[in-house]
Order: sequence, then structure tokens, then C-alpha cells
Amino acid sequence: MNLVIVDNLHKHYGYRSAALRPSPKRFGRSGRGSGHGVRAVDGISFEIEQGEIFGLLGPNGAGKTTTINVLCTYTEPTAGEVMVAGNSVTARPQAVKRVIGVVPQDIALYPDLSAVENLRFFGRMVDVPRARLDHRINELLTCMGLTEHARRRVEHYSGGMKRRLNLAVGLLSEPRFLMLDEPTVGVDPQSRNAIFENIQALNRQGLTILYTTHYMEEAELLCHRVAIIDEGRIIALDTPQNLINTLGTGIIHIGIRDVSQRMLARLQALPQVRAVDRRDDTLAFETADAQRALLDVIRLFNETDKPMTSLEILEPNLESVFIQLTGKQLRDA
Amino acid sequence: MNKLLYVALNELLLLFKDRMAAVWMIILPLAMTTIMGLAFGDLGGGNDATVVDLPVVDHDRGEMAAMVLDVLSQTEKLHVETAYEEQTARQMVTDGKRPGALIIPSGFSDAIMSGQPTALELIVVPGGGTTPLLEGMVRGVTGGFSNVQTTLEVAISEVQRAAGSQAPDYEGIANRVVSTTLQRLENPPVRARVTTVGGTEEEDFDIFDQVVPGYAVMFAMFSVLGGAGAILEEKERGTFKRLLIVPLPKVALLGGKLVAQFLVGVLQIGLMFAFGTLLFHVSLGDSILGLVLLTLATCWATTSLGLLLVAIIKSRKQIHPITTLIILGSSAIGGSWFPLFMMPQAVQQVARVTLVAWAMEGYNRLMILGGSLADVSVDIGVLILYGAACFAIGLKLFRFKEA
Repeated sequence: MNLVIVDNLHKHYGYRSAALRPSPKRFGRSGRGSGHGVRAVDGISFEIEQGEIFGLLGPNGAGKTTTINVLCTYTEPTAGEVMVAGNSVTARPQAVKRVIGVVPQDIALYPDLSAVENLRFFGRMVDVPRARLDHRINELLTCMGLTEHARRRVEHYSGGMKRRLNLAVGLLSEPRFLMLDEPTVGVDPQSRNAIFENIQALNRQGLTILYTTHYMEEAELLCHRVAIIDEGRIIALDTPQNLINTLGTGIIHIGIRDVSQRMLARLQALPQVRAVDRRDDTLAFETADAQRALLDVIRLFNETDKPMTSLEILEPNLESVFIQLTGKQLRDA
Repeated sequence: MNKLLYVALNELLLLFKDRMAAVWMIILPLAMTTIMGLAFGDLGGGNDATVVDLPVVDHDRGEMAAMVLDVLSQTEKLHVETAYEEQTARQMVTDGKRPGALIIPSGFSDAIMSGQPTALELIVVPGGGTTPLLEGMVRGVTGGFSNVQTTLEVAISEVQRAAGSQAPDYEGIANRVVSTTLQRLENPPVRARVTTVGGTEEEDFDIFDQVVPGYAVMFAMFSVLGGAGAILEEKERGTFKRLLIVPLPKVALLGGKLVAQFLVGVLQIGLMFAFGTLLFHVSLGDSILGLVLLTLATCWATTSLGLLLVAIIKSRKQIHPITTLIILGSSAIGGSWFPLFMMPQAVQQVARVTLVAWAMEGYNRLMILGGSLADVSVDIGVLILYGAACFAIGLKLFRFKEA
């Protein structure tokens, strides 16, 4: 059963008036920021099943936070339909707010207050019953390993402790659907592992989670399915393993100049090569067997006396899937 | 409604957790008030550069009254104005347009000529910077008349007594004239009666009656507008956004913050008046209701101004210098530091655009002139309208969400 449905979501910023804003149907495929505004999200669709950890993997500025902003009712979509637990985010935002929890990318806490004071205030804001609030606060402090520091001002916490408290605030209302926006940015490995363990434990209890990140290891480790997003569009969506499997056993990048169409056709015809993509002076080979394919390619270049300028074999993972799909690194895209 | 109160309580909790806030709210205002009160205790009394406009109402039209006008007119520091009726002159003092007015009663000349006691009435704004100057001049004039009148009277009496004597004791006569004159001058026949426009005794005034409300209003503005800036801080920190995506009505979110700022303003002014009463024996006037309503109106206007500024200004970096400029500028010309009437006429007119001017006018009327609620109803009304205008525009321009 789908808890979340996102259908052809568009979010555009900066158009001076509705009259100037182009219809989503008329968008070209080039120039995300062309015209008078920016298309932060450009026609994405996906569903999240009940009990699933769904990942949005993409570089900074890809549209992940904008998607979360629409899902949590903070931002109105320009076009498209978004449903959470059967409620439209535009038609019934209050109903949506009652079933979601959000852990924003920023440490959205009051630094002058203690953990308990932060949790008590936000607990009241999300309607945790007064009789249950103290119990819920203690539960979360224990779960996040913050009990000993409960009365300290948050400004004195480490980055990891703040992140864990940020997560605890998002869980106060015992939501059905939790959105985590890059929750591990700037934390030490120990805190990161603690956050992962918490997320996995919450998911085992049935919590549905949307997890955005630009760290492919996190997406691989945590997510049941991953949508790779770039420039406001979803360019791949599947389980991490299926996405990786599309690469075969690996990707080879070879730097070479002046490759003719005839040579490209010969490379494409090699038995271990699935596809060849030419990007400037680099050829990207998607292979069934990277090692055998590499031998065949080098042999062919030797026969035709073509000198290689660089060589790189990419390990099959989500990062290389992203590189294969976009030609860019995740971290500097 | 509950959530609005929780938001307000959280704001207050944040304020009390902030140690610097205590400095701003209590220590600094008290220190500044003390320093300024002591520094300007004899405010303006020796300001040689000041030429004071003094309306003189002559009900007497006699020779002695003309002499009074002549003497005063020759004084460099005074510009005597004789064109006003008594009611107009009193109103000008009440409105702060003139620092004082002199009334010469009818029968003044006759009283002096016949040796009867009489008095010139000097109406002043208590604690006005030029009050000592005016008082000194008028007392000088009346003292002169008393001297002349008494000396002549005693001398004539002595001369009449000596007229029948074969060998007048001139030395004895001179001594008796001097001693009797001095004796009689302890209760001089021509007096200067100094009264305030509110009818209170001028001696009751203390400079702290001006300084305490002045600095209370100024520091309340710092506290309230600082709280308004905290909204921008929350936007930048992300807590404001977090509150927008929980089931919290926007009216409760913004309303809670504004209620907290309003209460902080009331608390700030209340604390200043409490300390002012305890430490400096400030007079709170006769109308506590007027004082309370004026304070509420002042805090309402300040809170609304804060909302307007937060709606217009987009970042914390911008808001701090702008609010500081507004607060110091409006305090300087609005009467927080010096009485409004000490300013040039043009500045007094400009000051009317500031809420400080209306608040200070009200506080001066209540605390210095002993006015009633009715006397400050216009000030309260203007402050309420001022607040309503700022609130309406601020609410219209305020953006809960960034584009």
C-alpha cells in the first residue's frame, strides 16, 4: 500500500507572475534556470510504500529539499499532485501535518534551551497529550542516548548530539511518515552510526521514511528503494542493487582524442561492452565484465594506433550509477 | 489559544535564558537613568545660548506693569511676547510650546503704589530646562519692586518721625531703615508665585520624573524591537520553518511571539517605574489608570512597529543597525532624553511622527503635571492608531515563508 504518492510534481521559483510562468507541459528539456525563474523540481513522480525507507539521492541543489518542502506542506507545488496517507498536501495540509514528522537539514532547535525544554515546547506544538509528554520525552532521550545531557543547553552540544536531538524532535508526534533531509551532514562517524541504527530500528517498528542524501553509501545502506535526482528530475528509480546491476560489473572511463564513428561502432560491438557513451575526450564503457572488456578495448586501440590519455575503472555502486547517468560526480555536481 | 500562549511562554523563557537580556532590561537602563538624572539635574539652567520666548499677559496695564515688561524686555535671554490671552498662554505652556508664561494681575500697580502685597504669577513646566532661568529673572524683578517699595515705605516713615525732632539722629535713622527694611523683606510685599500648568507645586518636580519614563520607553523599544529581530533569527535558524510544518495555526505562531514582545515591553517599563519609585522617588502622578493605559498603548505601538520592521527587513544583519537608528533617533527628538519643548519648533513637529513623542508627552502630563486620564486620552488614542496602522501594514507585508 502506498503511503505517499507524488505525481508529476513541478516547483518553479522566481517567475514574476503566473502569466509569465510557462506551463509544465511546455518546458523544454534544456536550461533548468532559463527564462525568468528556476525549475527546482521538474516533473517528478514516485510512490513510497508503507514501511519503506525511500531514498532521494542527488547532489546539492538537485531538488531534494524542495520535494520535502512540498511533501511537508511548507511549499505549494506549481503543478502536480502530492498525497500523503490519502490526503492532498494542498487540499488538506492540516491532515498531512498530523501524520508526518520532519527532520530538517538545519539544526532547527533553540540553542539557549536544554534538550528537555526543546522537546517539551515542540511536543506541545505537535499536540502530544500533556499526560504523555514527559514519558515521550524520556523515551526519545533514551533512544537518542541524550539522557545524561538532557538538562544542558543545546548550544553546548556536539554536532552529533544536536543532530540526534533534531531527529528526536521530528519523532515527538509518533508520525506515520518521517522525512529526513540530509540528517548526517557534519556529524562524526560515531553519531552517524547511531543515527543509522535509530532509523533502522524505527523502520522495523513500521515507520515509513523518506531519506534524502548526497552520500551514496548511506542510500545503499539504508534505503529499500532509491530515486536518483538531478536538476529537478528523477533519472533513475529502483532498489540500490538493481540500479547497481545496470552497470554490469563496472564502468570504464578512457580518455582518448579523435575517435571516429567507425571506431565507436567497433568498440560498441566488442562482446563484453554493453554501451559506449562519448563525453568530450572521454569514452564511458558500461561493461558486462570490466576486466575482459578493458583488454579488448586496449587491443583495439593498439591495432589502430590510438593513444589513451587516461584510464579509470569505477567500482559498481550508486555513485558510479550517478556518474554513468549524468557524467558528474555526486559531490561536485 | 493554548498554543499561542505556549509560543509566548517559550519566547519569554528564551528571553530569561539570555543573560544579556537581563543586562538590557534592568542593569543598563538603571545605570543610564542614574547617570543621566544626575548629569542633567540642573538641566539648562546655565545655558547661556538659550533665548527663551516668554508670553507675558498684562491684566494690569498700569505703570508698574509697564516697568516689569520693560525690565524683562531688556534681558538678553528673554524674548517677551505680549500678544497672547491668558488661556492661550497657559495652553502654550501645557502643550510644551513655551517653557513658561508670566501673568501680571490686575491691580498690580495700585497695590505697589499703596504698599499692599501683590504677586506676579509665573506658570512653568515643572523641571523644564529653562525654569530656573525664568524663575530667577521674575524673582529678580519682584525682589526689586519689594526692595524699592519697602525701603521707601520705611524711609518715609522714619523721615516723618524725625521731622519733629530738633536734632535728628541720622545714623540711627539709616540703621533703622536698613534693619526694618530687611526685616520686612523676609515677607516681601511683591512676590513671585511660581506654579505649574497642572497646578502642582513646582518644588515637587525631580529630574528623574523626566528621565525615568524617558529611558523606560527607550529601553522598552530596545527590548521589544530586539524581540522582533528574534523572528528573523528564528527564520535563519530554521525553527520558524519547523513551526510552520506542525499543526500550529499561523495566528498562534505570530500572535504568540507578538504577545511575548508586548509583555516584555510592559515588563520593561513596569520595572523601570518600580525601580524609579523605589530608588529615585519618582512621582507616578495622580492617575494610575492613565499611566497603565498609556504604557499599554506605548507597548502596543512599539510591538506593531516591530512587526512592520520585521516584515520589511529581511535579515538580522540589517535589522539591528536600523532599529538602533530608529530608537536613538526617535528618543533624541521625541523627548526621552530632553523635554520636547527644548527642541527647535521644526524638530518638535518632526518628532510627532515618532511614538516616543506621544508616549513622553503623555508621561510628562501624568507624572510631572499631575494630569488625569482625560489629559492623556489624545496621546493614548494616537498611540493606539499608530500601532493599528503599523500592525495592519506589517501583517500585510509579513512573509511566513521565504520564496
